[in-house]
Amino acid sequence: MVRTELDLESIVSELYSPLYRFAFSLSRNEAQAADLTQETFLILAKQQAQVRDITKIKSWLFTTLRREFLRGLRSQSTHPEVELKPEHQDQLVADSGVLKASDAATVLEALAGVDESYRMVLELFYLADLSYKEIAATLDIPIGTVMSRLSRGKEQLRILLTKTASPNKITPRPN
Amino acid sequence: MNSDAAKEILSAYRSSDRDGADPIFREALNQMESDSELKKWFEEQQDRDRTIREKLAGIEPPADLQAKILARIRGEKVRRFALPQVWLAAAACLVVGGIALFYSIRQTGPDRFQEFKTDAMAMVSAEGGPQLDLRTPDLAETQNYLREHQAPRDDALPSRLKSMETEGCRAFVWKQYPASLTCFRMPNGQLLHLVVINREAMGNANIPVGMKSVGDWHVMFQQKDGMLMMWATQAPMEEFKQMVVKVAAEPRLGS
Repeated sequence: MVRTELDLESIVSELYSPLYRFAFSLSRNEAQAADLTQETFLILAKQQAQVRDITKIKSWLFTTLRREFLRGLRSQSTHPEVELKPEHQDQLVADSGVLKASDAATVLEALAGVDESYRMVLELFYLADLSYKEIAATLDIPIGTVMSRLSRGKEQLRILLTKTASPNKITPRPN
Repeated sequence: MNSDAAKEILSAYRSSDRDGADPIFREALNQMESDSELKKWFEEQQDRDRTIREKLAGIEPPADLQAKILARIRGEKVRRFALPQVWLAAAACLVVGGIALFYSIRQTGPDRFQEFKTDAMAMVSAEGGPQLDLRTPDLAETQNYLREHQAPRDDALPSRLKSMETEGCRAFVWKQYPASLTCFRMPNGQLLHLVVINREAMGNANIPVGMKSVGDWHVMFQQKDGMLMMWATQAPMEEFKQMVVKVAAEPRLGS
């Protein structure tokens, strides 16, 4: 595809919310999620000349955000806010003021309990609203793997949500 | 394709408007016509996906996040243009395309104004505040500095602004036109920026009137004595109105 000038302001306007949600699902921390989102767009602004296919900007942004998050994990291995154990995530979610709806916290709790190999695919599907092709590109895995992980991950999530269901929480229909 | 294979494929299906045309889903969707159990499973799954997405939408970004991102991007744009290599390249372009540039200066309209607005906003919203040549609370000193550097300025500022302290000023060149930035310290401590440039720099562009919001910034353009003046601040709209609308409406004290 012929490359045209990136309209960064439109891209920010369209994608900062889903990108922030994805960042929050990774970090479970409002400030860190905001930093990751800002940093990701700044990288795009600096490297826009290297983005050859503007139709893949969305995947590029989510890939970059995930890479930055993992880089931060590696460089700050003792950072308490990025601990990925489910019980720790629950506490951080509960402490955060960002989740105005307890429903979102319930879903994030359940997502945290899904096997890690499935969780990332589910987060990109639900939070980033990526297609299976975009998820495959973001995680650099085959399309078939995306589909099988989505299928298994959704089943795990359904079971977890059923277990945690309460009047305030999501109530999946019987399967 | 058996039912399990169809379920695996349909797990990746989002909605008809986004995925309906994808051939990989068509076969699985067609299979539903003859498989009522698969159809029921699919409908429940779509229902559940919709509910989960709605609930996750409860994760709201901070209210000022978009504005912060845009400000950082604008700051990066300014920084990139400040790199020596870029200036060298720009100088080379000026030499090679001098004539074309001359005509473009004369002929460009709205794009030129938009470009100026973008660059001016990037300058005033740079992280840590705009770069200033002179830092002083004394308006007279800023005006003297701009005069010495032959930068356009408003020598007939309204009395209200004359009594305010300044943060400082800067003389710069935009597209070969001298320009200036003066930063006032408002009573609430926030800065009010005044960018002045010769109106001619905008070519035949129409200059919009009225106040605009750009992210969490409030901006207003004003024309006076052949100059284009841009007022910009992050102060609350009401305070900005009180300050700038009065400035624009106040009778001129002279030129």
